[in-house]
Parts: sequence; C-alpha cells; structure tokens
Amino acid sequence: MNGAINFTYGFSHGVEWGWPIAVYLLLAGISGGALIVALLVRFYKKQQVDTPLLKAASLVSFVTIAFGMVFLVGDLEKPLYFWKILIHYNFSSVMSIGVMAISIYIPLTLVMCLYLFEKEISVILAKKSKLVGYFAMVMSILTRFRPLVEVLSVVFAVVICAYTGFLISVLVRFPILNTAILPALFVVSGLSAGTASAGMVASWFFKEDAHSSDMKTLHVIEWPIMAVEIMLIAMLFVSLLVGNEFQQTTTVAFQSGVYANLFWFGVMGLGFGLPLVLNFALGKHVAHSQMAFYLSGMASVLGVLCLRMFIIYAGQTFGV
Amino acid sequence: MENDGKRRAFLKVLGLGSVTLGTAGYSVVSEAGKTEKKPHYGMIFDQNKCVGCTDCEVACRKVNAVPEGQVRLYVENKTDPETPMEKRYVRVSCQQCEDAPCVAVCPSKACHRDAKTGIVTMNPDDCIACKYCVVACPYDVRFINHKTKAAENCNFCLNTNFAKGKEPACVEACKYKALVFGDLNDEASYINQILHVKDSVRMKPTFGTKPSLRYIPVVKAGV
Repeated sequence: MNGAINFTYGFSHGVEWGWPIAVYLLLAGISGGALIVALLVRFYKKQQVDTPLLKAASLVSFVTIAFGMVFLVGDLEKPLYFWKILIHYNFSSVMSIGVMAISIYIPLTLVMCLYLFEKEISVILAKKSKLVGYFAMVMSILTRFRPLVEVLSVVFAVVICAYTGFLISVLVRFPILNTAILPALFVVSGLSAGTASAGMVASWFFKEDAHSSDMKTLHVIEWPIMAVEIMLIAMLFVSLLVGNEFQQTTTVAFQSGVYANLFWFGVMGLGFGLPLVLNFALGKHVAHSQMAFYLSGMASVLGVLCLRMFIIYAGQTFGV
Repeated sequence: MENDGKRRAFLKVLGLGSVTLGTAGYSVVSEAGKTEKKPHYGMIFDQNKCVGCTDCEVACRKVNAVPEGQVRLYVENKTDPETPMEKRYVRVSCQQCEDAPCVAVCPSKACHRDAKTGIVTMNPDDCIACKYCVVACPYDVRFINHKTKAAENCNFCLNTNFAKGKEPACVEACKYKALVFGDLNDEASYINQILHVKDSVRMKPTFGTKPSLRYIPVVKAGV
C-alpha cells in the first residue's frame, strides 16, 4: 500500500544553502589542497630549506580558510550566535566534527605561517624591541615541534577537504549530494585548486622561477589530479544514470538548463578545457609563457568554483 | 469418525496452551513496560475523513504563533486532475521520526528530542539558523521562522496545548476527526485501537527514519 499516499509540498523554498557555502567549500578546498601538495613535495624531496612554494602554500592555506570562515559564519541567519556550536558539541553532526577539525586546522596553518615568515615578522617587530624578544622566545619553542606540526597539517588538511564532502553527502533528500563519491571528489578538486593557487602565489609574490624544480613538479602532478577529478565526476554521473528513478531524474542537471551550462562551460570548459588547450594545443611557445601559466591557474580555480556551485545548486534543486 | 474425540482433545489442549502462554507472555511484557516504557507519541491522518477545510492549519498557526506566510502544518491537495470529484488531501508536517536526521545533524543541539515525551522539538535560543536540519530532513518539513530566526517543526504543540494537557491544536480543530493523537506505546490508547483495525502507512519509509505519523489512505475498491 506504500505509494498509495504521498505529499510533494515542502516547507523550504528552493536552495537553502546558497553561493556563500559554495565559496566556502572552494576556499576550504584551496586551503587544504595547497598545504597538502606543498608539504608532500617537501617530504618527498626531503627539503630542509623553506621553499617559495611552501611559503606560498602556508600563506594561501591560512588566508583562504580565514576568509572561508567569514562566508561560513556569514551564511548563518544568526551569525552572532556561532559560538553556540563551540559549547554544545553534537558528535553525530558532521558540522560539529568539521568545526572541531577547523579549530585545530586554523592554528596549524597559522603556526606554519609563523615558521615560514619568521624573518619577515621579526623585521616588522624589530621596530618595537620588546615584542621581537617575545617573538623569538615563542619561535624557539615552536620550532622544536615543526616536524610534528607539518605532519599534523597534512592530516588535518585532508580532513578539512573530506569533511566538506561528508557535510553535504549526508543530505539524504538530494540524490546528487547523497553519494559516496562526493568527499573524494572534494579532496581531489581541492588538490587541483590548491596546486594552482599555491603555484601562482609562489611565482607572483615569492618570485619562484617558472622553471624551478618545485614548479616543474607542480606542472607534472596537476594533470593526473585533473584526470582523477574528471574520472570521479564521470563516476558520479554514471551512478546517477544507473540509479533508481529519483537518481535518474537528477541527470537532467547535466543535460539541460542553467546548471548544465554551468557544468559544461564552467567545470568542463573553463576548469579542464582551457588549461589543457593552453598547455598542449597551442605549441610550446604559448605553453611556456607567463600569461598561459596564470591564465590556466585561474581557470583551474574558477573551474573548481563552478564545480562547487554546480554541486550545491543542482544538488539542492533535484530532491526526492 | 473415531478420530473425532482425539482431535477435539488436541484442539482443547492447543487452545488452553495458547491462552496460558499468551497471557504469561503478556504479563511479562506489561511488567517490564511498567518500569521503563517511555511514551512514544504519534498521530494518524485519515485521508478518508479529510475534506481539506484547512481548519487544522489555521488552528496551528494561531496556537503556535507561526508568522504570516509560514506553516508548521499544510494540507496539500493531491486530487488527481483526471478524477476531480475524488478529492485527496494529505497532511504535510513533521513526521516525528524515531531516527530523526534533524536531531543528528544539529551542531548546537538546538533541535533535540524532549527528554520526558520523546517528541522532536526545538530550543530556539540555541539555534544558530545554519539550516542544516532544514536540508537534512528527508520530508522537507522544517523551516526558519522569520520572527525567531530559528528552525521550527511540528512538535505536537509541545510548548502550547500539550503543556496545558490538551490535544494538539490541529486535532482539536478537526471537525471530521481525521486526526488522532496518542501514545503508541500505550496498548490501550485510542490511536492503537485504530491502528489495530485499519491499514495505515508511513510516508517515504525507505529513508529508514521510522516516522511516527501514520496515514490511512483512501483505497477505493468501487461499488
């Protein structure tokens, strides 16, 4: 007799979690992705010196997650009450678990910035002789824990990227969101946006040579990351296509309407197509130009933003 | 026919045995129940009786001070356009799930299960209006109250009529007795008496959240 009665009216109207959440998801992805890539490069190459890439990644990860908090708290209807999360932990809520991870992760990124900008901060503080003394004392203690902080940073960066996926994959009403692939997709697209951001900042602000060893490494790893990202999106689509009747109706999001345009022009065209064309289709002269480097980096980041927007908006549009 | 006596004796034993075992079992259950059985409040919506007058909606908004343009309870007209004379109305409201996703996802424990009654309800002061419960609800029956800026759901008038020992406002207001409210854990309650004799369904049971609302659909067999 199930199905003999049903209702389709809902009390929420349209997309409840809008663009600020999509922007937050992007910023969290960039933050985690940049730190993961830079630190793994450091571990893999057994680097002892502070490279421009790690400087850039530390700065990017701290700044983006801090801005992310602005969007996250700003999206609350009662932003001034956000501290209630901190005193009423609910361990069954992905949001609570995420907030817990963030409150460990942000100090970690801050400490990473302190390690990498110790000289610069000392120069600024030197004008006030007292402060520079305290700073040197704090840094002498912190430096002892640097290997531990670096490992913890990688672990929590992965947690941050993954939790943003779990945060919305628990929403059972929405077939596009309620999939196992989403957390993995968010980690990989975070790596993609993080790699591009850290590379651009390293080159622009920290004068990293475009043909240095680290930049070459980034250039090599960005393509496999992109390939995995495309594969995960394809898996998401196929899982919906071969799913139950509700899952099948959501595939319209990929086929027609404003979300399909966002997906094909934004995610596929801008995010994957433009970097591929700039780097492989227009010859070595274009591929090695500065313009192509920044353009394809920005296209990657904007592509990931489009992906987050698509997931958030199309996801909440097609409900069961 | 010589077997007749034996069969009668066998049936007697069978009958007596089941009566004894049945009552014994029942007494065990009732004794255990006396000590630990908490109430489990539920509601029946009988589609056969609902005429879509929306008196329940009006009463709910008044009693619970729901702002203009918002509802905790909505009567949806699901009449098939092919058969416009066969009216079908459906109650849309919080399904009071036993495994409530809203309670699970709330980061500030504002959305919670009332300790005494087990009813899923809200503490508006602790709500930060993150809307996580609104999007996590499989039934899409939660909303942010414009006035309190807190999420809200039908809580069987827990803080209003229920607190005064009255039935929920919608049940009181229904002239056609399409709504029945009661304790599903109380075997003698009227709601259980109805559920014993009528077929009822849960809405979207595949989500596995075990809703406490029961619907008695119109099943027209014809004349």
